[in-house]
Amino acid sequence: MRFRDQLELSLSNLWKVKLRTLLTTAGVVVGIGALVSMMSFGTGMQKNVTETFKSLELFNSITVFPEGSGPGGSDPDRIDPHQPRRVPAGTAKAVLDDRALDAISKLRGVETVYPDVNFPALVRFNGREEFRLVQVLPAKIAGSRMIKLRAGKPYLSDDADEIIVNDYLLRRLDVKDPASAIGKRIEIASVSFDLGRLNPMDFSSIFQGGKLPVSKETYEFRIVGVSENMGFGPGSVWNELMIPPGAARKIKKLPFTSIWDIFRLQEGAIGYSALNVRLSSPGEVDAVKARIKEMGFSTFALADQFAQVRQAFFFLDMILAAVGMIAIFVAALGIVNTMVMSILERTREIGIMKAVGAGDGDVRSVFVFESSIIGFAGGLLGYGLGWIVSRVINRVVNYFLARQSLPAIDYFAFPWWLFAGALAFAVAVSLAAGIYPAHRAALVDPVKALRHD
Amino acid sequence: MRNAVAEPIPQGPSAAVEVRGLAKIYRLGRVDVPALRDVSFRVEPGSFTAVTGVSGSGKSTLLNLVGGLDTASAGSITVMGKDLALMSRDGLARYRRSGVGMIFQSFNLLSSRTALENVEFPLLFAGVPKAERRERAASLLDQVGLAGRSRHRPIELSGGEQQRVAIARALVNRPPLVLADEPTGNLDSRTAREIVGLLAELNRSRELTILMVTHETALAREFAHAVIRLHDGRVESEEKLR
Repeated sequence: MRFRDQLELSLSNLWKVKLRTLLTTAGVVVGIGALVSMMSFGTGMQKNVTETFKSLELFNSITVFPEGSGPGGSDPDRIDPHQPRRVPAGTAKAVLDDRALDAISKLRGVETVYPDVNFPALVRFNGREEFRLVQVLPAKIAGSRMIKLRAGKPYLSDDADEIIVNDYLLRRLDVKDPASAIGKRIEIASVSFDLGRLNPMDFSSIFQGGKLPVSKETYEFRIVGVSENMGFGPGSVWNELMIPPGAARKIKKLPFTSIWDIFRLQEGAIGYSALNVRLSSPGEVDAVKARIKEMGFSTFALADQFAQVRQAFFFLDMILAAVGMIAIFVAALGIVNTMVMSILERTREIGIMKAVGAGDGDVRSVFVFESSIIGFAGGLLGYGLGWIVSRVINRVVNYFLARQSLPAIDYFAFPWWLFAGALAFAVAVSLAAGIYPAHRAALVDPVKALRHD
Repeated sequence: MRNAVAEPIPQGPSAAVEVRGLAKIYRLGRVDVPALRDVSFRVEPGSFTAVTGVSGSGKSTLLNLVGGLDTASAGSITVMGKDLALMSRDGLARYRRSGVGMIFQSFNLLSSRTALENVEFPLLFAGVPKAERRERAASLLDQVGLAGRSRHRPIELSGGEQQRVAIARALVNRPPLVLADEPTGNLDSRTAREIVGLLAELNRSRELTILMVTHETALAREFAHAVIRLHDGRVESEEKLR
């Protein structure tokens, strides 16, 4: 039998029982639709995270902490407080100071090193005040892909009295249009120790309610850029105000930003709380990490964490696929049911086919074709349904995100393999569901089928 | 079951259908019901042979066996020199496709298809291209006198017309042998006579071998060359008329 004739014969058979064909196909549509939207959600989430990591250049960054401190030292045993801190034998406790910064920046594969410096400050703009952490960020980093600007441009010099403000903070300061803030002056008021009033080692007077031994000073900056709020914020660049290091040096500020610093202050050497290291390529991460560890610092690289993230996504995908599979399985049962029913009704027709010379294979393929057509149509429409459902969910979610001033994210991804896979899977499942009924049809006894009652 | 051949059967390679010691036993539950027991006869090429007998004499069973729709319990059927018992399932399908055409009492047309589509239906399985199918089917409908009815569905046709469509369908693969199982059973006597007359016509004009089962002895005697009477699964008599 010719392929075209077979197709036409099967299509006309399906057309004869339109309603039943429609309902059976609807089962496949729902099943494939569920599977497609689930898979596209899993894929979309993974793509979002991966791309955010990539665009923020998080795969080629390492954060360096002084030995035994800082968040998430990369060796798990160091997190356990009962374990003694292990310092590499023969080295004094390494201090994360400018000398260390210099040494790290000379390592092969290292592009930029800059200290992670934050200080608290009062921001005054547009007649409003907000209390925020200011991040000190070299011009080189501010101008890199790590900072996405919504308006204006990054500061070009490390000594300029210029500042990049985040759009979220601007909204809090009642500025609706980010571009309107460009070029305006903003006041940063920082607090610092008034050394004339305090022995910095004696904190007890503070806690006993004495007058705070601090003074407050105000500095003026010019807003040059407005940065975008990051939807995902796992990284070092998430502060709402960024100023260049040269300008930061002029500001009198507290020498610490966390409790860790206070403890280390008592130990003597303080250094930086962390250094951000940017590498020329993600491939250098392991080598540079090893060298930095040799210097007696601990490191944290998101690239390491990402393997675990991938695994988590794999499990998420599996669970989503399993839910989709249940729907497909039910649809497959629907096909088997329809085909078996149809064979019972069409026994005489099968008898006629055989009487005029159809072989077992011809009969079988007519039924396999019919179920495959159901699968193909179901796969095609199911993909469409999955796409529509995902778009609607995406719209709704992003509507609520926008109300919270969060940027729109595409939660679903539709790579080409999802389309091809959904279609192939729908046809394969329908084919499998059609095999048993088709086999039964081929075995119909023509004499019994044609016996007139 | 198979007895020694009592009467000598005319031998020769030229028979269109040669049946020897044919038996068919149906198993109903635990009881064996013989439908045919030791049937032997031969049909000459280009002849019109009628098989008569009362209901239950085994006529239809015989025709289904010769048509390759069923398989014998014992004995042999040779059609155009080929033993059906030696054919595989696919071989039998090929035989039904091009070796034989069948006509039934209840017409067995596909109700959702037009007369033309019914006639071309067997050609689908022969892999004949659509244009040629159409042409051959239309020409056959013309020959059976239904040229104007090709777009009608079976339900819109009379019994006689439906049987003509079935005859055209039986001929579309150009088989040398046509088997007709009570072709007049569902028709009034005038139409019945027309249909048998058409078969006789085709037998003459196309040198078609026809084996027709019927219980209408008068019609059989009027048109057939030979009449075989079956009784209780055996050949009761064999009569050559012309």
